[in-house]
Amino acid sequence: MRCLRQLFLASLWCATSWALHESDVGVVDWHSKLIGVPLHGSIHIAPIFHDDLVLTATSNNVLAALNTSDGAIVWRSIYEAADPIMLFKIHGNTVTSLSGPGGATLRAFDIPTGHLLLEKRLHNPLNGRLHEPSNLGTSVIHLERGQDDAPRVLALTNGDTIRSINSVTGETEWTWNSPDQGSLIMYSQVIVDHSTVYGIGLAKSVASYTLHVTALSISSGEVTASVNIPANIADGLSDFLGVSAGSGSAVTPCIAWLEQGAIKAALLKPDLKGQIMAIPALKYKSIVDVGLTRNGQFMAVKDDGAAQVLHLDAQTSSLRPIWEFAGSTPSKAQSESIFMGSLDANGEPRIARVYWSNAHNKAVHQTFAAQLAEGKGSTSGFTFPFETQVHGVFSQIAFDGVSTGKGNSSTRMLLTTTTGAVQLWQHDKMLWVREEALATIQVAEFVELPEKKIIGSHVGLEEETFLERITRQFSDAKNLPQYLLSFATRFATGSYATVSASAASSEDTLSRDAFGFRQVIVAATSHGKIFGIDSSNGKVMWSRVLGLGWAKKVGGTIVPVKMFVTRTVSDGETPQVMLVVQRRATNSLVDTVLFHIDALTGADARQDAPPTVGDILEGVDVISGPLIDAFMLPTANKTLAFLDEFLQVRLYPDTAASLAEFETLAPSLHFALRAGSAGQRQILGHQVTLSPDLSQFYVAYPTWSITLLAGEEIIALIPNTRGDVASVGKVLGNRSTLYKYLNPHLTAVLTSTLADSPPTCSVYLVDGVKGSIVYHASLPAAEGKCDVQAALTENWLVYQYFDDEYAGVGQSKGHHVVSVELYEGRGADEKTRSSDITSYSNKTLELNVYEQTYVMPHGITALAPTSTKFGVTTKDIIVSSRKNSVQSIPRRLLNPRRPKQKPTTEEMEEMLVQYDAVLPDDPRLILSHNYEVANVRRIVTSPSLLESTSLVFAYGLDLFFTRVAPSSTFDVLSENFNKAQLVLTVGGLVIAIMVTKPMVAKKRLKERWYQ
Amino acid sequence: MSFSLDYASIDTNKWKNLPPPPGFSNFSSTSNAKVPAKVSAAAASSYAALKEKRAWDLAIAPAKSLPMQAFMLYMSGGGVQIFSMGIVFMLLLTPFKNLAGINAAFAPFAPSTSNAKSLSTLPLQKLAYLACNLLTLAVGLWKCRSMGLLPTGTGDWLAFETRGLAPEISLL
Repeated sequence: MRCLRQLFLASLWCATSWALHESDVGVVDWHSKLIGVPLHGSIHIAPIFHDDLVLTATSNNVLAALNTSDGAIVWRSIYEAADPIMLFKIHGNTVTSLSGPGGATLRAFDIPTGHLLLEKRLHNPLNGRLHEPSNLGTSVIHLERGQDDAPRVLALTNGDTIRSINSVTGETEWTWNSPDQGSLIMYSQVIVDHSTVYGIGLAKSVASYTLHVTALSISSGEVTASVNIPANIADGLSDFLGVSAGSGSAVTPCIAWLEQGAIKAALLKPDLKGQIMAIPALKYKSIVDVGLTRNGQFMAVKDDGAAQVLHLDAQTSSLRPIWEFAGSTPSKAQSESIFMGSLDANGEPRIARVYWSNAHNKAVHQTFAAQLAEGKGSTSGFTFPFETQVHGVFSQIAFDGVSTGKGNSSTRMLLTTTTGAVQLWQHDKMLWVREEALATIQVAEFVELPEKKIIGSHVGLEEETFLERITRQFSDAKNLPQYLLSFATRFATGSYATVSASAASSEDTLSRDAFGFRQVIVAATSHGKIFGIDSSNGKVMWSRVLGLGWAKKVGGTIVPVKMFVTRTVSDGETPQVMLVVQRRATNSLVDTVLFHIDALTGADARQDAPPTVGDILEGVDVISGPLIDAFMLPTANKTLAFLDEFLQVRLYPDTAASLAEFETLAPSLHFALRAGSAGQRQILGHQVTLSPDLSQFYVAYPTWSITLLAGEEIIALIPNTRGDVASVGKVLGNRSTLYKYLNPHLTAVLTSTLADSPPTCSVYLVDGVKGSIVYHASLPAAEGKCDVQAALTENWLVYQYFDDEYAGVGQSKGHHVVSVELYEGRGADEKTRSSDITSYSNKTLELNVYEQTYVMPHGITALAPTSTKFGVTTKDIIVSSRKNSVQSIPRRLLNPRRPKQKPTTEEMEEMLVQYDAVLPDDPRLILSHNYEVANVRRIVTSPSLLESTSLVFAYGLDLFFTRVAPSSTFDVLSENFNKAQLVLTVGGLVIAIMVTKPMVAKKRLKERWYQ
Repeated sequence: MSFSLDYASIDTNKWKNLPPPPGFSNFSSTSNAKVPAKVSAAAASSYAALKEKRAWDLAIAPAKSLPMQAFMLYMSGGGVQIFSMGIVFMLLLTPFKNLAGINAAFAPFAPSTSNAKSLSTLPLQKLAYLACNLLTLAVGLWKCRSMGLLPTGTGDWLAFETRGLAPEISLL
């Protein structure tokens, strides 16, 4: 029976759904795999070259290997969000990473393949201590193969535990715990010599920090000595380094620290007895680890800003400055220098220095090589044409010391810029660039492209004479033969635009394809860059750096808040978008800035736009202060309204016309805002009024409030999707109607009450005009967090949550998807005209709710309904699952009115199928083929020109675009339609008529004669 | 152009004294010569009764064919197909066709005294005929309804419902 039912279901989908064919992959969809912007700030997570690969840990919590020749991702390992990468170290062909709070997990990967060799949990992540920076107190050191030939790794975790781990078997050989855990000593560095492990920690003393060193036996982990070095370190975090020089049994370990402007050092011996050395006569500001501490080199910045290379000599056991980079003192002529060390082919340390020279208007690279035998060093340098107007400022470099040989012609380095670009330079040529900022898209919108312009030459028709008109018409007619030819070929070959063809056009002009599948995706990232992406192939058509305005001098970041499409193709001219951002300057001032952008070119669309410099786009400061919210008014001019922190309404464009429009709308405007302090959150409904004694602007005043429970926090306000509603009701099998509850003011509110026991999450549907709660559901908060996703369209709310525990009736462990539909009145045929009655009517609360819960096989990270031009096509739900795929859930399966028993004839007439709690894990529903679409944060859908087809764009770490036809492509001729057969049949009939016509006429004539 | 011969209206007295055709035996006529008026009156009345009977037959003819039609409907099934649609159309159209030609249909059975083409002749029969045809129509409509072709539910009028804009505007 069950088998039969499944067969029945399967046949139903065959009829209605549209599985992805393998031939469509790469044609109707595209996928761009990203890794995220490399982390910077610590040498332990900085990108590193390794043969032909460059390894990097990124802000999207990915450890990846890129091919240095073309920038392709060789492999990547995506870490869970709760498991941030603390550091990674390369040894031979293995990369070892520590991740999680306090370094909870140790993983080892094979570098060429990315295969996971070892995964070991060192402590429970809940016991991990949180430090600032988070990777403080963690360290990994690969030991040279010792006597027993076992490859071992020393891991310092949580600032108090050192383990020796066999890196093949994963066995812990010994563990040493700091005797006074939770004490004031916090170990943060480990250095080794041939017999001893030295754990170096900071101990807090009265006014400053002192150093504490514990020596452990490398083979057993026993403490051999422990000493407190009376250093007087002011800052603590970065002012000391463990350095070692030499190799084999002749390793000389040493700690160097900065004490009141002087660098002091102490050589470490197993018995921890020794003298403190000082570098006399020089005053330093800071010391810098450039990744060469195991080769005896590090850098220090002198009081005047000049950078020196310090070297620990293994033979003489002396620490001294060996080089000072000329011109490294800060000046207006150049930017601050970035240093990075690497080893060359012979294992000799090299230090690269990169800075921007304002004098040359180019970036300068210098490589320092120490010639220790002669006791001096040398640098060689070159300039390279870094495009600072396009890619911002470089924030970090990685440097391939192996590529430095004689001369600089093959020197390779990897630049990470503030706009999130990753560039590989070989000498002065950029080999490739990856725009990794696309892994941090904050807001994205689809913008339609205009039709291909048919350029007519008729201008000034009134003044032309007869002769002019004739010549114009003749010149226009020169395209006629070409047109006729193309018409004939099109007719003969039947090469029309088809739905399964790629929408990408071979031409360079920006124009839409026949069905409007080609659109521009405008995406703003958190790295201050905005991209225009061609939806037909995923290529970046244009990109602009968002200018900082006055904050350029002090620096700052740009956080995109909202994006509005203010002019579409149907309004004529070029489409435009407006991007609203919060600019946080480094001096803590926050401004609200608006960028008005031409969506086709990325150019500034303001009328009085200042000339742009390079790719930098300057915005308008609409509010000098933080933004509460921004709205687009439903007027012809698409005016934007901004609410500043005093709830004053500012308009853009701030013209008399838009103000007049706003004035006419003002009495009927309503909006809901979050309010209240932590613990006592409220949702406040607002209207606007003008009170001249308070402010010259319209000011919002609260009209209603929903006070949430104590400790209930608002996670998200999800507005109803705006779009055409094709039908105001649902016709039942007995031909009565359930009228949809189409209240245009519905807003879904997701909240969390984690302080309660048990912790709960809530979903509300709130009427945004009068604040009545239309629907409310309380959900369990699995593992103490609310991972609820919701989508609201028309009268349909879909949300998902994870239920981790069986606690009562109606609960079961699993990922649940709840489908809720709201209908007017108490039953069929009752209508309240919910979409156009005033919200103040009592009838707005006359509704009935149908809801059903389904179990999903996988967790969901984002969900969105499809959207089509007129809303006639069924709306499917597009979800991105935790197994890194994007799939659709057909509306038929999510229908909350699916009967619990065998469907009756009337229900079958409605095409309802029997309720089945588990949504099938049907591979035909997967849209993303076998692509890995990782960590999708949001799914955006957009109508195309075909009513049947909706465009889907998913972004997160990766970008994925496809198009779906939830009710199959009913509005285009099927591709296997036999045009030849039709033409032949019609032709045959014509011939038959031509043959028989004279015969019939002759026969008729004969009949007349004999009548 | 149809016409009918009304033999009953022939004025017999006018032609009574005509000589019989040659070879015609006058025997039978002379034997009945006593009661010709009586006989003719009886014949006329029986003829009128016959006509009335035939008129009643015609009036209830549609009802008689109903069982057959019902059987055909049953056999044609509930689906919307060419066969069932043909029968339904026939059922729906014949009553109207019949009623449109009601006077012509009853004209042969009209009593000699009245105007054959008038609606008021044979009123009872015509009423019965009307009722029977309405019965046929009802069966056709019932079939339509069972096939879901009658716009009886609100769902059939949903497409014509319109909604305006809400008086309040909520900004999202």
